[in-house]
Amino acid sequence: MKHSVSRREFMNLVSATLGTGALIQLGSALSLLPMTAQAASLSLATPTPGKGKVVILGAGISGLTVAWELTKAGYDCTVLEASNRAGGRVFTVRSGTVIDEIGNRQVCEWDKEPHMYFNAGAARIPSTHRNLLHYCKELGVELEMFINESKTAYMQDDNMMGGQRIRNAEVSTNVRGFLAELFAKCYTAAQLNEPFTEAESETILGLIRQFGDLDRSKMRYTGSARAGYVSGGFLEHGVQKEMIEIRNLMKSRLIGSTFTANEGETGPMLMQPVGGMDMVVQGFTRKLGDKVIYGAPVVGVQVKEDGVEVAYDHGGSRHSIAADYCFNCIPAHLMTGIPNNYPQDYLASMRSIRRGEAYKSAFQAKTRFWEDEDIYGGISWINAPISQIWYPPHGIHKAKGIILSAYNFGGGMVFTKMSQEERVEAALAQGEKLHPNYRDVVEKPVTIAWHRMNHMLGCSARWGSGFGGWTDEVQTLFDRLQQPVNGRHYFIGDQMAYHGAWQESAIASAHWALKDMDQRVRSMATQA
Amino acid sequence: MFKEISTMKRSFMVLALAGGSLSLPASAEMDTAYYNDHYCTTCHGADGIGSEGVQAPRLAGMEPWYLKRQLEHFRAGMRGMHREDFQGTEMQPMAAKLSDESIAELVAWVGSWEYVPTPVTLEGDAEAGRALYASCSSCHGANGEGSPTLGAPALAGQNDWYLVTQLQNFKAGYRGSAPGDTYGAQMIPMAASLADDTAIRNVVSYINTLGR
Repeated sequence: MKHSVSRREFMNLVSATLGTGALIQLGSALSLLPMTAQAASLSLATPTPGKGKVVILGAGISGLTVAWELTKAGYDCTVLEASNRAGGRVFTVRSGTVIDEIGNRQVCEWDKEPHMYFNAGAARIPSTHRNLLHYCKELGVELEMFINESKTAYMQDDNMMGGQRIRNAEVSTNVRGFLAELFAKCYTAAQLNEPFTEAESETILGLIRQFGDLDRSKMRYTGSARAGYVSGGFLEHGVQKEMIEIRNLMKSRLIGSTFTANEGETGPMLMQPVGGMDMVVQGFTRKLGDKVIYGAPVVGVQVKEDGVEVAYDHGGSRHSIAADYCFNCIPAHLMTGIPNNYPQDYLASMRSIRRGEAYKSAFQAKTRFWEDEDIYGGISWINAPISQIWYPPHGIHKAKGIILSAYNFGGGMVFTKMSQEERVEAALAQGEKLHPNYRDVVEKPVTIAWHRMNHMLGCSARWGSGFGGWTDEVQTLFDRLQQPVNGRHYFIGDQMAYHGAWQESAIASAHWALKDMDQRVRSMATQA
Repeated sequence: MFKEISTMKRSFMVLALAGGSLSLPASAEMDTAYYNDHYCTTCHGADGIGSEGVQAPRLAGMEPWYLKRQLEHFRAGMRGMHREDFQGTEMQPMAAKLSDESIAELVAWVGSWEYVPTPVTLEGDAEAGRALYASCSSCHGANGEGSPTLGAPALAGQNDWYLVTQLQNFKAGYRGSAPGDTYGAQMIPMAASLADDTAIRNVVSYINTLGR
């Protein structure tokens, strides 16, 4: 039997070799990924006769998951969706799409071709999101690879190297070279703490040398071909690029992105559905058919002892629907404006959640100019509010493409507050630092300010007072809202997961609620 | 934390909205027909009851003349242009797109919503607020009922968190400073006479006792 290195042994080795600082960093890197169990098999019980009516509020991914699973189990489901499309923040923009921003309605006028689309919300599927992948398989959603990290993409910061754009590979190669040289210099001290045999030392030093492409004899970093050649390489000897001193690179806080942006959920290889992320949504709605009612905003929720009564507007009149169970993925900040009889502490939890502010925008590119610069997919990083430019990994070598021109996930309000014209000018002015001819090669802008999108008014829910502000008080609020009212009304969505803004989070919350309901149904059946 | 004195009681009647032009499309296929100017309820809540989560105030039961004036002010950039008036800046681009006809139609639609009591969310010294309210009452009425003649809207029954924000905005000059907003300009010195946030909270707590 082969002896595999345990995590503890590995950590000890790293600690001995690289010191405690490295150990701490490695530890957090290893726990970077929230662990997802194997795709859940729900095996829900069939409903008690006469008790199988379910109403689902909102056709976001969590609502669709509930509707699909309960339909399979034999429940009679109705999904009420306020807007005229399903999916919520799973939203793909293509020719003819209406972007229903309040006060800034846009109609997409891009070329009508299968590869000319932009995922304005969810855009990436990590291989660890087992439940979402399970549904993609079950619902026949064809997937392809999404390239998140390209070493030929750029990094730009006005504070670094006179503001010139630098290839990702140049940044990462030179930073790694510096770090490796540092490791090598510290190695003697590490060896004193935990003596290694000569053979072990050779292996470790070899690893360090390989990590940073160090000079073989002196263990020094003097530049590397990994950063790319200035010229030549095939029929002429390659001329290596000059090494860049760490002092010059560390003027930018972005440099760490060349390491963190290619691991875990933002790994270099992710997945996307062929033709747009809304193929996932269509996978569900194809199965659900007319169980989803569009243009049906909810105007009242009353939880009773033995069920839930929901009022909604549709077709110019007011309707009501009585159900045994209700699953609600309406954003919390919108639910506070809908009459209800929720317990006060349940409502207080809803009121405590703040609206997410993420912002994205895109252009139609007249040519795939990035391909002429050796870029096929991946992200360029810039120290400016647009934050990132994404190059589509699909539609390679076609005439045109859709380029993501901004993705501000933390402070999107800077764009949200602008007029459409100001948003576009900001994207052009910042983007041309990465691509000097940008202004001439892009057209037909589309902007998505999630904070102002109709029926949404926010991106992923923010619990607590800010990023990382998860306190005991927040935990209490979260726990309260996760528990159903009277065992009949469940609040779901990525807003009800610790790790929001992923489809997997929405599905996880839906599964939690389904399992809880199923237990109650089974226990009531036993009692009866 | 939140003390809800009034409970919202609403029965779910199947009632047709006034006016055929207000109907929503029956299905997702009617794509272009779906889009109109009827965005109010997304922020302001079902039938305009107000939504604390979005900090959008109650519109149900608001005076049509006041609704019209505020929509026109937002449209003209007389309100909601100051960066610090965050909720105002959310409203402004929406109103900026409206035509006169659209405003008239929206006012008719919003005017059809029946008033519902707003929940009390504020804890302040209503007794201390009573004295402060004296200067408010000359325009807004002893019972906060408002005065169309003086152009002063009703205050009684409005969301207390909204009244607090607006008083703070007037006091800081975020609202009422724009040229042309003569009514808003009158509010600036009045709000300035409230010494601090405690005074603002107290006067609004008193308004909460006026009922409606």
